[in-house]
Amino acid sequence: MTLATKILRDLQQAIGAENVVHDELDLRIFERDASIAGAIPDAVVLPATTDEVAAVVRIAARHDLPVVPRGAGTGLSGGAVTSHGGLALQVTRMRRILEIDTFGGTALVEPGVVNADLTAAAARHGLFYAPDPSSQKACTIGGNAAENSGGPHCLYYGVTTNHVLGLEVVLPDGKVSWLGGAADLPGLDLLGVVVGSEGTLGTITKVLVRLLPIPEAVITLMAAFPTIDAASQAVSEVIGRGIVPAALEMMDHVTVGAVEAHYHAGYPTDAGAVLLAEVDGIEEAAAEHAEAIRKVLHDNEATHLRQAADPAERELLWAGRKGAIGALGRIKPNYYLHDGVVPRTRLPEILRQVGEIGRAYELPVANVFHAGDGNLHPNLLFDLREEGVLEQVEKAAAEMLHACIELGGTLSGEHGIGLEKSAFMPWVFSPDDLDAMRRVKDVFDPRGLLNPGKIFPDETAEEPKVVARTGLAAEANWW
Amino acid sequence: MVTPESPEALAETLAEAARQGQAVVPVGGGRAATMGTAPERRDLEVGTAGLDRVIEHSQADLTCTVEAGLTLERLQQQLAGAGQFLPLDPRNSPGHTVGGALASGWTGPLRLRFGSPREFVIGLRVALPDGRLVRSGGRVVKNVSGYDLNKLHLGALGTLGVIVEASFKVFPQPAARATLERIAEDADSAWAEANRLLKLAQLPWALELERDAQGTLRLVTLIAGPRSAVERLASEIGWAESSESWEERARITSAHWAKISGPRAALPGIVAQLPPTAHWIAQPGIGTADWLDAADPETIFAIRAVAERAGGSLVLLAASDEVKREVGVWGAEHPALDLMLRLRDAFDPGRTINPGRYVV
Repeated sequence: MTLATKILRDLQQAIGAENVVHDELDLRIFERDASIAGAIPDAVVLPATTDEVAAVVRIAARHDLPVVPRGAGTGLSGGAVTSHGGLALQVTRMRRILEIDTFGGTALVEPGVVNADLTAAAARHGLFYAPDPSSQKACTIGGNAAENSGGPHCLYYGVTTNHVLGLEVVLPDGKVSWLGGAADLPGLDLLGVVVGSEGTLGTITKVLVRLLPIPEAVITLMAAFPTIDAASQAVSEVIGRGIVPAALEMMDHVTVGAVEAHYHAGYPTDAGAVLLAEVDGIEEAAAEHAEAIRKVLHDNEATHLRQAADPAERELLWAGRKGAIGALGRIKPNYYLHDGVVPRTRLPEILRQVGEIGRAYELPVANVFHAGDGNLHPNLLFDLREEGVLEQVEKAAAEMLHACIELGGTLSGEHGIGLEKSAFMPWVFSPDDLDAMRRVKDVFDPRGLLNPGKIFPDETAEEPKVVARTGLAAEANWW
Repeated sequence: MVTPESPEALAETLAEAARQGQAVVPVGGGRAATMGTAPERRDLEVGTAGLDRVIEHSQADLTCTVEAGLTLERLQQQLAGAGQFLPLDPRNSPGHTVGGALASGWTGPLRLRFGSPREFVIGLRVALPDGRLVRSGGRVVKNVSGYDLNKLHLGALGTLGVIVEASFKVFPQPAARATLERIAEDADSAWAEANRLLKLAQLPWALELERDAQGTLRLVTLIAGPRSAVERLASEIGWAESSESWEERARITSAHWAKISGPRAALPGIVAQLPPTAHWIAQPGIGTADWLDAADPETIFAIRAVAERAGGSLVLLAASDEVKREVGVWGAEHPALDLMLRLRDAFDPGRTINPGRYVV
């Protein structure tokens, strides 16, 4: 669908013709996020200020046009896909760090600031921004706040919602509102519900985040295990002993093979699974916790137990972990993953089931995940050129998620529900639970124009559709 | 006063009250009963004392799910059996119930290190005024499935529904802890000393600056962690060992109690405006202060103005009805009040729960 000339002209007038993308070929760039879903927006707008965002939102509201806020498009659940058409509202021109308050330990930033850039800027003051998604070199703080993103170090430090102190948002009617702030103000915690609302309640135009002092000491341990079971057992035991490391990550045999071939980080490729554990803080505490972890790992059949000797070695180990999914391209050109969560004591059980489901569908599975949180990332590896494979992949992934729920877990730990998992929401939430969420949506966005089709199951669908058969599915026809 | 024996019965009581147009005041341990404006109507008190079970304590997962009527002390007892604890230590203890503490939003000194319950509540079950029981969040420590409705109920005084069950992320007890104190000569040196502690390599678990009725300015801090870390911190801090018990400190209460909040950098300036004889306890690392003899309406009004100009607030946690009427409990209207009112309307259209008590 192309946009009516009148609307286009209004948008161009509001934010400048060069900041409205409407050429058919250009629009294709904005079709996808990092999930397998996709849809071409009617137009893409790139406002530079809060006022411009508000102007765009008002124009869209006047014409009943959906608006889908979008950061860097690194989301994994289809949250930034314009599944119902309308405008993709790209915030990446709003990328200034407005203020770093070293006394209060906060930063006020525009939503398009890249996660890693904020941490680099904060480092000049001895501070850092804790949530560290694997995509942190590209993903934006606005997108992180909208998705309530996680990352390896969220085990100890908490996810994005624990680090966002305030938000400026443009509400679906174009009003600008400040939620939260530097102090307790009496009133409902609207900030808490907008963070993680996946762009369905408001468009984030400024973010006030907490910055923490860079820890004095960091110790990174790597250990190999003969089996995933043994590694999972070790994870449960570390936490069960009352040690909460900064990060506790696992990679299985398949992943380690791909990562090592690419990064040469010294991961043992003959291992059934590898654990990466990191403790930080004051030197004495880090040393003592590291020693305790070393003992647990040792008692659980760990081999190749190694401590990163210097920051360079530590960086390399982490580069391998954070680049793991990319490295999997060595095995198959495409991947698909969910990020279901289980209580961490159920890790051995869920990983066995994940393996069985992969085998039943004859799909290779590479596990690389936040073990300490019980937050899985089973990557299903495939080649899109194989006839009908995408459908199998989606079915297998859905079965894995269902297994998480059966074990007392949930649908998503950090990627969001988005488009791809909205149909599964009834697995965890009753119609009444969902109705309560719906009431909140209706208060913020009574006309349903902001990021429609996300989070809530489509009640009009006859059978739950797995994901929109667009995006990657359409690309299958290229071959 | 009715005390339903099950979440279902409590929800049904709410629904029945809503149908009859009655006003319900939910009651936990009654420890925060002084909070809020006097309800416009008060037909029925609904107690949660009948809901006091520990539903699940998954020790190795560091999670715990309990009913709302359980007292914090009994919850801590349960957790202590596994060497764990919940970092929630509101004033006017003991006797707070889990639901009451969450609904009142009261926090204590441990908030410095662990944050408020919004950082460690992972799931809630809430009875709505239409009789439905709804869940948000879950029992796992990391969860972005759907809206985080947990947070809407924290500190909301039950106005969107009555909390009947809560799931928490819990924490391991530290190997060692130490309480240290120091008498400060004057306010400037007290705040400077507090700021020095907040810049140490490891943040203290708690830090308070108290000015008692005699005019003594005393700093008290709690440090915790592995023994070697505590020893090092204690020597870097260099204060005297204190016999102060944090359990005793949690008993502190007052019938004339105002909670001041502000940006951390502004807090010393706000507190400096308090009367020279005032009894107050500030939490310099959080940006809050308990003013424990806030009785004179004119002075309260003036301090509130100072706090609000600095971007903060002053809320009366306990006061006579007269004082509440004269200065108001909550202070300036929240800029997003309109959205809050509409949320209230979406969940409690008949204003069944605590009508007129909260900001919505």
